[in-house]
Amino acid sequence: MEKKYYKSLEELSLVIDQESGQEILGDKKSILALQTEAKSGNGPTRRDFLKIFGFTVASAAVASSCEQPVRKAIPYLIQPEEMVPGKASYYASTFYDGVDYCSILVKVRDGRPIKIEGNTLSTVSRGGTSARTQASVLNLYDNSRHTKPAIKGEETSWEQMDQQLVPLLEAINQKGGKIVILSSSIISPSTKAAISLFASHYTNTEHVQYDVISASGMLQANETAFGKAFIPAYHFERAKLIVSFDADFLGSWLSPVEFTKQYTANRKLHEGKKTMSRHLQYEGGMSLTGSNADKRLMLKPSEQKATIATLYNELVQLTTGTQNTTNASLDMAPLAAELLEAKGESLVVCGSNDTETQLLVVAINALLGNYGNTIDTGVHLKVRQGIDSNMASLVDEMNAGAVDGIILYDVNPVYDYPDREKFISGLQKVGLKIAMPVLNEETSVYADYICPDHHYLEAWNDAEVKTGHYSLAQPAIRPIFSTRAAQESLLAWCGSKMDFRKFIQEYWEKNLFPKAGFAGTFTAFWNEKLHDGVYNSGEKELEVVAYKAPELGAIVQNIKGNEAEAVDLDLYFNISVGTGKYANNPWLQELPDPITKACWDNYACVSQKLADQYGLADESLITINKLGPFPVLIQPGQEANTVSIALGYGREKAGLASEGVGVNAYPLVTLSNGNRSFELSGVTIEKVSGEYKIARTQTHHSMEGREIIRETNLGAYLEDPKSGNEVREEILAHMKTLYPKKDYDGLHWGMAIDLNSCTGCNACIVACSAENNVPVVGKEQVLKAREMHWIRIDRYYTGDPENPELVRQPIMCQHCDNAPCENVCPVAATTHSNEGINQMAYNRCIGTRYCNNNCPYKVRRFNFFDYTNSDAFTGNLHDTANMETDLRKLVLNPDVVTRAKGVIEKCSFCIQRIQEKKLDAKMENRMLADGEVQPACAQSCPADAIIFGNLNDSNSKVSKMFADERNYHVLEELHVMPSVGYLTKVKNTNA
Amino acid sequence: MMIRFLSLLGNINRVVMLFVLMGALLPSMRVKAQTPEAEKLFQECKACHNINEPKLIGPSLAGITQRRTTEWLVKFINNSQAMIQAGDPIAVKLFEENNRIPMPSHNFTEAQILDILKYIENGGKVAAEYAVAADTAANAKQAMLDQMAKTQAEREARLSDLERDANRNFRTTFIITLLILIIVLVDLFGTKIIKARFVHSVLIIVSLFIMGEIAYKEASMLGRQQYYQPDQPVWFSHKVHASQNQIDCKYCHSTAEQSKSAGIPGTHVCMNCHNVVKSGKLTGTTEIAKVLDSWQTGKPIEWIKVHNLPDHVFFSHAQHVNAGKIDCIECHGDLKTMDVVMQVKDLSMGWCLDCHRKTEVQFASNSFYNTYEKLHEQMKSGAIKKVTEDMVGGDNCMKCHY
Repeated sequence: MEKKYYKSLEELSLVIDQESGQEILGDKKSILALQTEAKSGNGPTRRDFLKIFGFTVASAAVASSCEQPVRKAIPYLIQPEEMVPGKASYYASTFYDGVDYCSILVKVRDGRPIKIEGNTLSTVSRGGTSARTQASVLNLYDNSRHTKPAIKGEETSWEQMDQQLVPLLEAINQKGGKIVILSSSIISPSTKAAISLFASHYTNTEHVQYDVISASGMLQANETAFGKAFIPAYHFERAKLIVSFDADFLGSWLSPVEFTKQYTANRKLHEGKKTMSRHLQYEGGMSLTGSNADKRLMLKPSEQKATIATLYNELVQLTTGTQNTTNASLDMAPLAAELLEAKGESLVVCGSNDTETQLLVVAINALLGNYGNTIDTGVHLKVRQGIDSNMASLVDEMNAGAVDGIILYDVNPVYDYPDREKFISGLQKVGLKIAMPVLNEETSVYADYICPDHHYLEAWNDAEVKTGHYSLAQPAIRPIFSTRAAQESLLAWCGSKMDFRKFIQEYWEKNLFPKAGFAGTFTAFWNEKLHDGVYNSGEKELEVVAYKAPELGAIVQNIKGNEAEAVDLDLYFNISVGTGKYANNPWLQELPDPITKACWDNYACVSQKLADQYGLADESLITINKLGPFPVLIQPGQEANTVSIALGYGREKAGLASEGVGVNAYPLVTLSNGNRSFELSGVTIEKVSGEYKIARTQTHHSMEGREIIRETNLGAYLEDPKSGNEVREEILAHMKTLYPKKDYDGLHWGMAIDLNSCTGCNACIVACSAENNVPVVGKEQVLKAREMHWIRIDRYYTGDPENPELVRQPIMCQHCDNAPCENVCPVAATTHSNEGINQMAYNRCIGTRYCNNNCPYKVRRFNFFDYTNSDAFTGNLHDTANMETDLRKLVLNPDVVTRAKGVIEKCSFCIQRIQEKKLDAKMENRMLADGEVQPACAQSCPADAIIFGNLNDSNSKVSKMFADERNYHVLEELHVMPSVGYLTKVKNTNA
Repeated sequence: MMIRFLSLLGNINRVVMLFVLMGALLPSMRVKAQTPEAEKLFQECKACHNINEPKLIGPSLAGITQRRTTEWLVKFINNSQAMIQAGDPIAVKLFEENNRIPMPSHNFTEAQILDILKYIENGGKVAAEYAVAADTAANAKQAMLDQMAKTQAEREARLSDLERDANRNFRTTFIITLLILIIVLVDLFGTKIIKARFVHSVLIIVSLFIMGEIAYKEASMLGRQQYYQPDQPVWFSHKVHASQNQIDCKYCHSTAEQSKSAGIPGTHVCMNCHNVVKSGKLTGTTEIAKVLDSWQTGKPIEWIKVHNLPDHVFFSHAQHVNAGKIDCIECHGDLKTMDVVMQVKDLSMGWCLDCHRKTEVQFASNSFYNTYEKLHEQMKSGAIKKVTEDMVGGDNCMKCHY
């Protein structure tokens, strides 16, 4: 069977047209048409303009470079001993933003954090990072940060602030008034201790935790089943069969980095491994996780509960013989049988926030004996603690005037609470409103007292993400602005002037050190843990939680009927801006969605069928329940009657980069059975006139239908490891040349990418941007196909356009040993190094773009403008990321130049890292070790999909992967001899 | 060529100047007690010793001539380490008592040492018979400053000679050639005095060639700063520190072996010595006062950077100094002879590559190069005699540009 791959629906129809023999205006013809159109215009042409421009620039350059500026070298007064100018230091720290957790190393160059790297000592994130973790360093240098404490809009000092606030708080305390601390889920034990200290001083204090990505339903289901509201630890690596009902565990569900590490560990097939897990996904819109599944089934959100109940009933029937009536549209009997076969080695997860649905999932996992195997109730995952009804009752109380003071810490409900008006009116009734924000946001506008918190890279903190899994956060830079740690503010208001580092130390000394059994002083213990960044105490939850089978009868019987024709709405969180907290982060805004490849917007994903039904086309506008308008994106794999919209867009007060980006969909979130529901049934769609351009990186890197991605299934692979890759033998047989093969002595760098591991999480793209100063170009430029990412993840659909399979492939410069780009450069700006790297000398490049034209992989990027303010001439600047400000520039990596307008750039295999590690080895008088050099993409990858190393060393990991039967090179038939290899994708399907 | 010749001339000048200076500084061999010269020489001792209390780095010196024999003292001052190693009991005891800080050797003559000892005996005062000579001392100092100014002026003159050679002569040639070209063209189309047409052609071709050559040379010099020698905020002399005081380059530029940047020393490094040394031989207290001022006000000294590379060049000191074992002098010139630092090399890419093509790497001694198996084989078989930097990637673009 021959598979057809297509990048979009237009492309699919093109393929169909071609097959039917219809004449279509191909690429070449349309380009010619465009050229004639351009030529027919009157007035000065582009060439004339270039001539004049070139002359002006050349003469200005000659004139301006005669005088050399006086440069100063200003040393430290007292150079800190541990600081070596020009050399990076790494500090272990913790990233936790109220949603995601990651143990990290912060790379600090000359006193400023410039890059986040994963901490390999962590047993939770195990060296992996996410796109948001990587991008979080840019938030430190956000121009919209709060710079000073402010009272009613007037900037003030911290002394003034405390002097004014303490009497007000005391007054509330004296009259017995209620103070509420509203925060996101807090996983820091010391912060909790600080809050309880505050609560013991101001006796009527309530701490409410509010999670934007809520797991309230799950917490309550577990409370029913286990007697305690908690989230257990999951072990995807132990599961042979994973069934997920709309749980995007690789993207946004609970702890994606940890789960990606676990999941991909069981998806690799090299190094002699012959088994892999099987993954089934039931979902309405296509999620990152769903796109990686072996089998993806479309399921309307409103049918989810019935389907899970049916599965439960089938399981019960198979195990006990009791029969229940069900009415799900999907036949769940085969799945039930399959699950029972993998008893104790399966895992069923569900992304719903409905308590009853989650209770069913608990019952299914209990029935399958997964507790104690793939689910560990002795270790709790603490990233979600908020119960939605608590927040709802707080809003009611506020409206009733029962709250006298509120402290808002790391929350932004004015933006992300569904009933925004009600929250605002409640907030206005609170006498004392204190906000402790880091970045500018909507809620602090309503607060009278702004006490800005540190960015996490400036602050001390600790975390217990899972029971017994502690980690520490330490500042990597002195606070840039006049900010104060939120915990220090709380402590200051209850009379303690203690700094928070000391507070954490005392907490650890009192609570963790005695149990640690550490041979040595507390200082030694502290220093060791601070250095490592993590500490595993090996503790388990003390309370024994035994599963009590809940009463499911009512739930199982009382399933809502299937309204097939009603349109469902599925609200989701994407991997870039997430909850909206990162809306002002241009790196994330420009990150293409792993499914739709769209950036700088949210949009309504609809199926072709729904589009036909409502007369919609791609990029037309609709409103949903009168909210909008949202642009339409016709998405293959979308359930016919489900519309998916990403949350986290439409920020009003976040800053420049987020201005006018998307529409806020939070008002569509509803409260159902006490929990916020991100699914909505029976929405009304109305078409609005007009059109809206969505910037997509999708169609302009098409590989024109050649054999790019090779895949097979597990059965075929076990029979013949070459399966799916048979064509390579034929290609290699034709590989004949008159020229001698280029011989590399010593080092020959190569990269191997396991397509089976890559989930498409995009962490590599952000890591690459951060490491290599890759500019952000903005929506308008992306629309012109001018995005600058050095690495992109191509995705292709295959099979049934209604529910296609999806394959992905990270593509960066392939560093061809016989590189077509090198031959065509008229100025030898791109040449080959004797280590096999395709080099690019920016200062030699004159911008002919011949190389770009001649590259079969289309990985070269041209600077159409000056995006990073690196050009000496004004007027060239196109600055979406606000790079012209001094604050923003601090994020630039000083080891890589910023490219000026008019030059080509591309992946360099992180040459600066190669040179650095080579030098380290020379200085230590030793050979380079395998795996020592890691490009930013490989290092950030939570799936370990990218392996980099020396191809001349036959023992290196990359050489072994190159020798694998699954290995192939993209477009190898062109005899360009790439240095990047791919391992075929193997799906665990029976087909 | 001209430039090279002139710089040679400059070197000769420099050597001559050195002799003149040494002649002026050479102490007379007469043993004259407590001469102002002794006072001057004692400046070197003053860095670590007081005559009376309190004790500095080394012990106070009052009554030293009673405590030790003259012979012992002369030996010790000349080379204390040798005595300690030889196991001289007093020397070893002193070494232990003073935190094992060795006393640096001083190249004094015996006569000078005796002179200093007499000066110490007198409690650090110049005897009355030299009261008049104090003026002489002041005069001598003045003479020295004059000498310095003269050297400076000469150096500047020499430099402007170099610059003249580099610029003016070319400029004149350029203008003359341009005039010839114009005349030829005018004659060719207008006056038509010269009948033989080939004269025009030859002249046009030759003058265009000369002008092109000059333009090319000039253009390639754009952005380069050879012979750049800015005035620094503090008149700091590498000559005094590195040559006379024998301070190792890496004492101040301590990160040269570990980092890209060699590091400009912070004021605290200066203060290690200038805590005690508060006046200099050449500049008195004025320049050191600036350092003290920086220390007290907490404002770092804003040095002017002399050796500048473009932003798109990544140069690593660690690579060259540590891994490549290249001496500082090779790129920075002989700083030991410079009072004010001057950029000696042009720091052009051609200059870098020339060196990369000539310089041998530490191929045998550094295990890193074990990776290069083929080169090792070729070395063994005698196919190649040495491995230069360009053979292991030293001429790759991305060695320096990324």
